[in-house]
Amino acid sequence: MAAEQVVLATGLRKRFGRRTALDGLDLSVTQGQLYGLAGPNGAGKTTLIRTLCGLLRPDEGEAYLLGWRMPSARVRSQLGYMPQDYAVYDDLSVLQNLEFFGGLYELRRAQVRKRANELLDLVQLADRRSQRVGTLSGGMRRRVSLAISLLHKPRLAFLDEPTAGVDPKLRRSSWDYFNGLAEQDVTLVVTTHLVEEALRCHVVGFLNAGRLLTQGTPDEILAETSTSNLDDAFIVLQDRGEAAQ
Amino acid sequence: MKSFAVMRNVLRRIVRDVRTLALIVILPLFFVLLYGSSFSGSYRDLTIVIVNEDNGLASVRTAEVGRVTLSVNLAQAFVAALDPAMFDIVTSDDPENAAASVDESGIWAALVFPRSFSNAVVNEAVRASGERRLDFEGDTVTLLPSDPVDGPRTTLVLDDGNPLIAGAIRAAFEAAFSQVLATQQSSLTVEGLLDVRALHEGNIRMLDFTAPGIIGFAMTLITVMLTAMSVVRERTSGTLTRILIAPISAWEVTVGYTLAFSLIAIFQAAELFLASTLLFDIRFIGSPGVVALLILLFAIGLQGIATLISTIAKNEAQAMQFILFLLIPSIMVSGVFWPLETMPATIRPLSYVSPLTYANAGLRKVMLAGRGIGDVRFELAVLGVFALVMLLLSVLSMRRQAYTA
Repeated sequence: MAAEQVVLATGLRKRFGRRTALDGLDLSVTQGQLYGLAGPNGAGKTTLIRTLCGLLRPDEGEAYLLGWRMPSARVRSQLGYMPQDYAVYDDLSVLQNLEFFGGLYELRRAQVRKRANELLDLVQLADRRSQRVGTLSGGMRRRVSLAISLLHKPRLAFLDEPTAGVDPKLRRSSWDYFNGLAEQDVTLVVTTHLVEEALRCHVVGFLNAGRLLTQGTPDEILAETSTSNLDDAFIVLQDRGEAAQ
Repeated sequence: MKSFAVMRNVLRRIVRDVRTLALIVILPLFFVLLYGSSFSGSYRDLTIVIVNEDNGLASVRTAEVGRVTLSVNLAQAFVAALDPAMFDIVTSDDPENAAASVDESGIWAALVFPRSFSNAVVNEAVRASGERRLDFEGDTVTLLPSDPVDGPRTTLVLDDGNPLIAGAIRAAFEAAFSQVLATQQSSLTVEGLLDVRALHEGNIRMLDFTAPGIIGFAMTLITVMLTAMSVVRERTSGTLTRILIAPISAWEVTVGYTLAFSLIAIFQAAELFLASTLLFDIRFIGSPGVVALLILLFAIGLQGIATLISTIAKNEAQAMQFILFLLIPSIMVSGVFWPLETMPATIRPLSYVSPLTYANAGLRKVMLAGRGIGDVRFELAVLGVFALVMLLLSVLSMRRQAYTA
């Protein structure tokens, strides 16, 4: 395995009963890449992320993260994961949530506070740090969840729709931050529905019915689909996927 | 009417949840079967020791032929009158040993008939009735009252640690004695015939007797419910996934949970004991330290059960149903209200696998009889193994939750 391949999956297959969620999927993401996973609802994006992280066992195939075959406990300290649901403690304050999860990554209290300041500024919740999470809006809770995922400065982060329900201005600053992280050699795999977000990724993979139909830079995808914008490109790819089924 | 739409929707969702549906159908039937089976068991196989020193002879004065000796064997008649299904009768010829054996190895009572038992009963009956006629060796003779017979009285040593059992034994003995006395037309009462020595001097009320089990059951319910709900909520909210993807082992997560809920369980137990002793004067004559140890091991095991339940249950409602399914029967089969000896053989295996059986037995020994740590080593050992096995199983189940969260 080449050193820069931070994510490598081959022949991943996962079924839930009679439904095939991943259908022999191959994926490769290199270090410092901001990889966008796009695709219609039910395409298998979340299943793919959960399988890569070791939260689901694939029926077939194998996945390596940072050179370790998953599931492996060795990568956990370098792995960031933001699930689709909020996954925060509603009865704790924003800071208490960050402190608890920071503790699991063996961050000292002072380190957590320092990182919390940076991240709460990013997600614009600095003035809500003492507020109970249960009293925040849905969008704000997602932002707390994002801050938790990046708290321990992971080398590789899987973010499942991190900006869903977030207002456009904050969405833009979040993507600026993701790009900044990628420049620091952090690898990010981000699922998205939004075309303007996909445009900001280095590489976009388009998933349909558990298969990776295509992957490349936004320009490469436009060229491959002979379209002038990613919206049209995704529709073409989706039609192509449905026709192939 | 929109209410019907709401009703239909609720029912449709329940019907689609196969586990809930199964519990709705099976749970009531299960409870009734268990309740009926465990309650219908009458007292059976209660071990008692009988020392029969009665020579079976009665020496009475007659008007016609002076003193005659009758062979009546009243002690033997008494034993024959006892229900053989209710009692396992052990015979002994050592009165002191028999008395000392009560409360050990499950011996409920020791009854010692003195040598002059038959003689005393017959003469007492004649004295009470005045002259009485009797066929003796082909002739009719008149029995005459004589002086009271001196000598040792019949003694009953009774374990009254369980008021229900003690009551049942006394009632059975009274019935048997009445039957024997009736053959002699005696007006004697059982009280007049017997010296009863109750081990706990009748100080154990039904309230005291059931308190350890009820406290154990309350702890079971609260601890299991709190732990299971908490783990299920962690899983459904996604926080468990976050925890399990962090660099922390399933073992560390489980021990963390166990520590937290053990502290809560100990606090609850202290509250239960304090409230029941202060408000209801529950008998508690043993060491609080030994009780705390029993409670701690019991609580650790209960948390294991709770974690296992949380693995099976999809949501909090299902967890609640599993808890009811598992825990409510435990109070019926664990000897809280009636001892294991009274339960039908078909139910007893359930008693032996219920941890409450051992917690209850241990707590009862310490609280009611003031026994020390050495006397509850069996219960401590069983609860210790239970705690260890459950802790290991809950680590495994926590690992499994990482893949199902």
